[in-house]
Amino acid sequence: MADAKRKVAIIASQGSLDAAYKVLNIATAAAATDAEVTIFFTFEGLNIVRRNGAETLTMGPGKEHWMEGFQRANVPSVAELLEVAKDSGVKFIGCQMTMDVMGLTKDDFIDGVEVGGAVTFLDFAYDADVTVTF
Amino acid sequence: MSEIRVDKTIDCKGLSCPMPIVRTKKAIDEMQAGQVLEVVATDPGSVADVKGWAHRTGHQFLGTLTEGKVFRHFIRKSRPEETKTEQRHPNTVTNEELAERMANGGVLVDVREPAEYAFSHIPGAISVPLGELEQRLPELTSYQNQPVYVICRTGSRSDLACQVLAEHGFEQVYNVLPGMSQWQGPTEQSL
Repeated sequence: MADAKRKVAIIASQGSLDAAYKVLNIATAAAATDAEVTIFFTFEGLNIVRRNGAETLTMGPGKEHWMEGFQRANVPSVAELLEVAKDSGVKFIGCQMTMDVMGLTKDDFIDGVEVGGAVTFLDFAYDADVTVTF
Repeated sequence: MSEIRVDKTIDCKGLSCPMPIVRTKKAIDEMQAGQVLEVVATDPGSVADVKGWAHRTGHQFLGTLTEGKVFRHFIRKSRPEETKTEQRHPNTVTNEELAERMANGGVLVDVREPAEYAFSHIPGAISVPLGELEQRLPELTSYQNQPVYVICRTGSRSDLACQVLAEHGFEQVYNVLPGMSQWQGPTEQSL
């Protein structure tokens, strides 16, 4: 067995559908590999965890044609990946500052999103073995 | 092709990354140590991913069978104590000594699970999984007074098997160490 748990810190700063997949695929795969995972959602990245937001995400400009490929490859839905992530203990942190700028409150997000500042994330990230930004 | 005996099979056909891994993790968590899981998938990425996952989480990747577009991955859930083995049977031989000793007679008994044996075993080894050893002792009675060499992956299951054999009157029982995990000699498959 692996010794101490690996820590994976992910920053999600973009709100397109493909960004959501990049973030959630790595997060769920890491959690399945027994890592402790925290995702910091900031700026447009907050869209991924908006209540009912998973269905409204769209591909970024010029990438709309990927939708077909996503369906063909039977890629799980963002909502499904969010569920898997939560079930496997992935921690979601919403960026307080961005929320203030956008006029959002904790109630605008799916259950399980904690609110914190940059330091809340950094506190975890300082000890992380892997840090990725999308 | 002979069937490989498994304790559980999960169907991940049609699922793309990361779902085969997510399901594998969930299934392994619900299984007992020592049991074998079969993951049936069509995602070609799962070939590298399942192996990597097992390596990372400390479980034992046994192998993958490819049948057309379907991949069958086999993983054995590790026991925590396998990493720190406590040997109790006094008589042992090393992997290196085994071939030389075998030339003078005796039998080699492989006590790993059938799936482990199927993917790689020493030519001539008899497969008797540890869990079946006591019921199958009659098959081995002709070796009661001959050397019996017992092997597993890391020496811990074979140690238990040696104790069982010694208790049942087998006179020359040897645990082969460190076992298949470090075996450098020839191997064969029975798939």
